[in-house]
Amino acid sequence: MSSSELLQFLISGLQSGAIYALVGLGFTLVYASTGIINFAQGEFFMLGGVLAVAGVRIGLPLPLAIVAAVVISAGVGVAMERIALRPRRDSGALVLIIITIGVSMVLKSVARHAFGPNEMALPAFTPGPPVLLLGAAIDRQVLWIWGLTLVAVIGLTLLYTRTRLGRAMRATSLSHDAARLMGIDTAGVVMISFGLAAALGALGGAAVAPLTQTAFDAGARAGLKGFAAAILGGLGNPIAAVLGGLVLGVLESLSVAFISSTYKDAISLVLLLAVLFLRPQGLLGKSGREKV
Amino acid sequence: MKTRRSVLATVLVALLMAAALSGCSGKGNGGSKAGEGGDAPYRIGAIVSLTGSYAGLGTPEQKAIEMEMKRINDAGGINGRQVEVIFEDDATDPAKAQAAVARLLEQENVIAVIGATGTSQTMALRDDIDRAGVPQVSMAGGSVITAEFDKNVFQTPWPNRIVVPFTLRALKDRGLVDVAVISDTGGYGKDGHDLILKGATVAGVKIVADETFNPGDTDMTAQLTKIKSASPDVVLLWNAGKEAAIVAKNIKQLGMAVPLVGSPGNGRREFIEGAGDAADGFRFAAGKILVPEAYGEGTPAFQVAKKFIADYSFAYGVAPDIFAGHAFDAFLVVTDALRRIEGEATPASLRDAIEATDGLVGVGGTFAYSAEDHNGLTEEELVFYRIEGSTWVLDK
Amino acid sequence: MSRRLVGTIAPVLAVMVVLALPLVTTDRYLFKVLTFVGLNLIVVAGLALLFGYAGQISLGHAAFFGIGAYTVGYLTADGAVPWLIATLAATVLAALVGFTLALPMLRLKGHYLGMATLGFSEIMTVLFVEARGITGGNDGLRGIPYPVLGPFKIATPGGVYLLVWITAIIVLVLAGNLVRTRPGRALRALHGAELGAQACGIDTGRLRVQVFALSAGLAGLAGALYASSVGYVSPTTFSLEFSVLLVAMIVLGGTGSIAGPVAACVGLTLLPYVDALIPGLPREAVSFLQDWEADIAGIVMILVLLFAPGGVAGLIRSMTRAGDSR
Repeated sequence: MSSSELLQFLISGLQSGAIYALVGLGFTLVYASTGIINFAQGEFFMLGGVLAVAGVRIGLPLPLAIVAAVVISAGVGVAMERIALRPRRDSGALVLIIITIGVSMVLKSVARHAFGPNEMALPAFTPGPPVLLLGAAIDRQVLWIWGLTLVAVIGLTLLYTRTRLGRAMRATSLSHDAARLMGIDTAGVVMISFGLAAALGALGGAAVAPLTQTAFDAGARAGLKGFAAAILGGLGNPIAAVLGGLVLGVLESLSVAFISSTYKDAISLVLLLAVLFLRPQGLLGKSGREKV
Repeated sequence: MKTRRSVLATVLVALLMAAALSGCSGKGNGGSKAGEGGDAPYRIGAIVSLTGSYAGLGTPEQKAIEMEMKRINDAGGINGRQVEVIFEDDATDPAKAQAAVARLLEQENVIAVIGATGTSQTMALRDDIDRAGVPQVSMAGGSVITAEFDKNVFQTPWPNRIVVPFTLRALKDRGLVDVAVISDTGGYGKDGHDLILKGATVAGVKIVADETFNPGDTDMTAQLTKIKSASPDVVLLWNAGKEAAIVAKNIKQLGMAVPLVGSPGNGRREFIEGAGDAADGFRFAAGKILVPEAYGEGTPAFQVAKKFIADYSFAYGVAPDIFAGHAFDAFLVVTDALRRIEGEATPASLRDAIEATDGLVGVGGTFAYSAEDHNGLTEEELVFYRIEGSTWVLDK
Repeated sequence: MSRRLVGTIAPVLAVMVVLALPLVTTDRYLFKVLTFVGLNLIVVAGLALLFGYAGQISLGHAAFFGIGAYTVGYLTADGAVPWLIATLAATVLAALVGFTLALPMLRLKGHYLGMATLGFSEIMTVLFVEARGITGGNDGLRGIPYPVLGPFKIATPGGVYLLVWITAIIVLVLAGNLVRTRPGRALRALHGAELGAQACGIDTGRLRVQVFALSAGLAGLAGALYASSVGYVSPTTFSLEFSVLLVAMIVLGGTGSIAGPVAACVGLTLLPYVDALIPGLPREAVSFLQDWEADIAGIVMILVLLFAPGGVAGLIRSMTRAGDSR
């Protein structure tokens, strides 16, 4: 195998991996402030894509359509938290998780009613021939996805470490009660995390749609991969989620290169299980108590 | 003790519900039986996937059948009787499809079942269909449906076992002999893949690479990089989902100068939209419905296809795809057989009438069933297409 | 007094209703749908033990269900192995796989355990498609014979319905009894506080593995019965959605009891068929219900948990308490 081929496999893995990472970031954000897994996260990925397409179809310029899709999705995320989750925030995590599953069923089905069952295409952000790097080809849209992932992870890290809100979020993740006693508006923090997670998911969905098209059922698989990315990296830490996503993507692509494309998902999952069995808290996760 | 009591209480609740439901459905049963005979409508069941992963296929199928049902009924029905189609959604799940066929046979007393949308769902109906002796006309393209022969089961699409040899020969004719295969791991892709590997030697082509992807995958550059290093003359893609557009775009991204050839499942507008200019030059074999002029203008087949496209576009605002066409044909096969029955139509007489179908012009081709062949189509119905300027043209 | 009376009469009545149903109706459709309910009940009984009493959830039980189904499908094809032996083998095999999987998974907790079971399920899905010699691949296994018990062939939907429901009732009664035995109390202690349970000398690790293997075995049993009653097995049935639905039944049912999940299981399993089970619905209403089924299921799940966070079990408890105070 030539070095340019190897590089192409690596790029291919980082391309899928960045997509997994963007979805994984949403999981990890919600987990950090609530301790639950939001199974509707994949549906925000779907919403971002289909809403952006819908915006373009009604004549909005592409950037505006994407912004609108992200804002609407964030609104849906906030509404979901306020209406369906907040009244039950003192229940066990599993009750909340099942509520998010209910929300994901509704979102997926409503999207099918609104946008039909067929896949929809979104124009590339910046059309043009692929960029060549040492003999390997990179689609321009992939550069956008990498850029957005980088911005997201830097932004989130800054948010967590440098801002009041970020400190409030971290305090909330350690203990709701203690944070509330310290005068932190924990309900507000939780709401903002849902809004941010939904916005990130939607941004990912809109950024990926030009490559893969999108449809009402695009969320399930994205959610599965994003969940795997967040778990592999270690829940609750944005850098870990991105690392998890990239590792997962590269594992799949190397499975294709050296073993078999048919078994690539099985191979990457076996490795994920092996990592979990050796490091039960994920690659970068810290061992600690978890709300269950 | 408390727990045990509540267990039993709940079991009781469950059973009472069941009993209540059984009473109810018993009534429903009686009602439908009372409506039989005389000039009551012909009841035909249709099992389609309206939700789940085949929703994009089942929805146009339902539309095509509804449109044709309305047209026939407005024109006075068949033999003076109206036609009533009872739709069931199988949610792309074989178990649901099986429950649906039981309901159609038990509660609705249908004389024929159209469906299902997918191959797995179609196969799941077989035991019930055989026991009831009701004819079934499937809209799924899996080879297994008519290759595993069943006297009650018919099929309207061109199955892979006809399309694959045709496609391989078309490749050979064009001098494309080193073939790289990429297929999805779903039923349709696997079926095609196996037939390609089996038929390669006979057709005189060589398989130089063999890669797969999963439905829902978002990037195939890894597989295509492997294919690229095998330097094939052509990449042969076999799938029916939206991933086809990704394959086309990835090939362009990698700067591969090889032609891409696909399957009838790629004959969808969404593929052209999704792949954009990467779709240009894409070739695939399918029936003549996409370019009815292939039948030769003025021929009966041309007329049927033209009328169907016009009616469907008028009713729903979009041109029909090949799945709508398969549903149109399935409904046509059943209604045509009903017209030919003398005396009271029963499932058995309808089955015999369907098997006697000969020279029936549908949009997917001219159907001629026999006691040995329940697919009724030949390679004659296939043509090779090329995508040029966002539309299909014939690739001579 | 009256509650005790209900407690005595209920089981007798329940069994009578189950046995009597085939005398009342011959509707094969009804029997098929109710058979699905009975099959899900068997899986749910195991999952309820796993979650309610050991505090673990599994997003992979569809895979054990699939292992059971394919085992029976493979073994009974052409009548190679008697039905009863094949069904037992399927149950044992699923339990063994569950046991093997539970050993390393013991180290995982909460969402990490959820991901591990989910990952296992996805791996099995790939195997179901690829191990074509055994599973028939995407085409699946067809013509799986009906159950045969000695000289009796259970070849009607009514008979299959009886077989499945009698099995389900036995499983439920055994699960209910298990709760009251010493291991059952140990299980509950495990859910309450693992450290406390360990202090009382309960080997929590071994118990967890055992209860996981038991629930896997029950899922395998249900899958085995599914294969011989439906007669057709294909990979799409054993999906993540099925696993998630099963977990939803447990949570909607409420924890700490088997009664609630049973009720939730009946409700959620019948929901997709409700349009056909209610007689006299106009065609428009039926197609509306079919079209909006997923929305309705999702909204029902949300509403139940919003207004009854203890699930159905919580509702039953508060109802019986209200009855007592009268």
